[in-house]
Amino acid sequence: MDDFLIGAAQVLAPTTLIMMFFGSFAGIIAAAIPGFTVTMAIVLTLPLTFTMEPLQGISLMLSVYVGGYTGGLISAALLGIPGTPSSVATTFDAFPMARKGEPGRALSLGVWASFFGTVISTIVLIFAAPPLAIFAVKLGPWEYFALIVFALTIVASLVGHSLQRGLIAAMIGLAISTVGTDPMMGRPRFDMGFEMLAAGLPFLVVLIGIFAISQLASEVEDINAIKTGEKLVTGDVEFKTWAVMREVLMRPVNLVRSSLIGVAIGALPGAGGSIANLVAYDQAKRASDTPEAFGTGTPDGIVASEAGNSATAGGGLIPLIALGIPGSAVDAILMASLMVHGISVGPRLIMDNGDLVYGMFIAMAVSSLMMLLICIVSMRAFLRVAEVPKWVVVPIVLVCCVVGSFALNNRVSDLYLLGFIGLFGYALKSLDYPLAPLVLGVILGPIAETNLRRALMTDSDWSLFFTRPVSLMFLIAAVLSVAWAVRGILKSRNDQKISKDPVS
Amino acid sequence: MPDTTQRQESGDVARLLSYVALLAVSAGLFLEARTIPTSRFEVLGAGAFPILVHGTLIALLLGAIVGSVRKLPTQAYGRFFSNIGQWALSRRLVFVVFGCLAVYLFTMPVIGYPIATFAFLAVLQITFAPKTRKAVAISLVLSVIFSFGLNWLFAEVFNVFLPRGR
Repeated sequence: MDDFLIGAAQVLAPTTLIMMFFGSFAGIIAAAIPGFTVTMAIVLTLPLTFTMEPLQGISLMLSVYVGGYTGGLISAALLGIPGTPSSVATTFDAFPMARKGEPGRALSLGVWASFFGTVISTIVLIFAAPPLAIFAVKLGPWEYFALIVFALTIVASLVGHSLQRGLIAAMIGLAISTVGTDPMMGRPRFDMGFEMLAAGLPFLVVLIGIFAISQLASEVEDINAIKTGEKLVTGDVEFKTWAVMREVLMRPVNLVRSSLIGVAIGALPGAGGSIANLVAYDQAKRASDTPEAFGTGTPDGIVASEAGNSATAGGGLIPLIALGIPGSAVDAILMASLMVHGISVGPRLIMDNGDLVYGMFIAMAVSSLMMLLICIVSMRAFLRVAEVPKWVVVPIVLVCCVVGSFALNNRVSDLYLLGFIGLFGYALKSLDYPLAPLVLGVILGPIAETNLRRALMTDSDWSLFFTRPVSLMFLIAAVLSVAWAVRGILKSRNDQKISKDPVS
Repeated sequence: MPDTTQRQESGDVARLLSYVALLAVSAGLFLEARTIPTSRFEVLGAGAFPILVHGTLIALLLGAIVGSVRKLPTQAYGRFFSNIGQWALSRRLVFVVFGCLAVYLFTMPVIGYPIATFAFLAVLQITFAPKTRKAVAISLVLSVIFSFGLNWLFAEVFNVFLPRGR
């Protein structure tokens, strides 16, 4: 109890709260710009924490972290461009909702879902950190590969108009992920002698090129609309704070399920928000009575994606606090900031520095409140983006994408890649290929390959994938997931036949 | 109505061409993956996963090609080529965007971020904007802010140096 009170006193000190306020604001802004990720925002914050007390520094970074997970939804909803990889699924419903004239509701739904997602993940973090961490660390490459196979079946929910083109897009994504150095042995692959391909295609550059450049190019297709100064989004720019809060709370099952998915995926080292939002979206669609409404601007889609990605913030801290293993790049930076202050992160962290750990729990809760407060107060200003004409927004966001891609690795060759991938993405979009499965393929490809090869390197017996209980469980879930998708497709075909020919 | 069907058919022909192009690339990479030597330390080599991916992609693309060829009437191909010009004309601003982006990205390392960005933003915004003095003034001000202003912000605040030119 003493540790809890000491931690609370440090986090709730006015200086820390002011720092967290600015941190949260900076996280939201950084993530709202396509190309700038939460990781980059945290890296830029790290040097500022060197002169602070350990808990003050970590609280500031957590506020950037939580703010960043929410900020991605702003450009996802208003521009149709995921601000960060973790808000890919948010674009599916938030953007159509904004385009239908409800940008305020779309943003508000995302903000509230993010808030509740973070709160739920903090509660789970407090009570379940040690057992969950031990479970997550016991998983071997067999279980990881089986998990990725299950995650790949999400493609069935993201295919759009054609299952065939969806599968082709997913395979293109996996193929893109094989370009560059092989993840196990470092052998060069498919670089065609070009230096810019030798290091592989950076995931973020692919994401920006595929989603942002193609979306921005689509915005200028209608020449008359752009020449007359048409706005990006027209309609009611009201935030409707409390009405939307009730709307989110009216979906408790979706909210809790998506948050728990976020926590579980966040707790697995190597996975994170970029996968959690898609898995949560997929599960919400499968559980829904109206799966056909997903992708057209349904609130359930926004709630699932945003609760899922925000909950990974708490999930990622589980292995960090319980075992000293960072679950993602952001957690590794958090760990580094503790180590700078001479705090050794490991299983004894909670025993040796109880005040720090309890302080982190409190900082998570305070950060989510701070994020909510900032969003409610300043969202009207963000919504003004929707009132800016397209001829202003399109070129400026293009520049932001270019700056974001360059700042990632400080490599000029990434800029050329961005241009090529943007053109390729626009071509695919024009040909009605769904882009989300492609991005999923790029995310999951290296994890699938590494774990498949690692598993067989450890033991060449393929049957282990089926005899290890957790691996088998994921593979059965993958089979069930495919069966469910096939059933859905057959059912919709039958419905179409009946509606075309009502006499028979 | 026949117009919509023809447009749909032209779209299907374009998709068929995309399947063929992707098949050619994928088949080439499949063959290259087979030449990657396997390691003595593992069962699967660096080429195994790409072979699996491209093998599946080739099978999917062949299925898509066969399906499209069976579905499309012969006249659709002729109509597709006559529709290309019309399609390109209706999307001329998209070509302007990609043209400007290409020039911008390739000149940035030479002339530096601030000048390249200023020129890119000014040209693109003035091309798109309604032809009024106010719009031109706004375009120029925004071009300065997001070129020289952003460059200063990154260098002074974040210590990230955008390309400075040769």
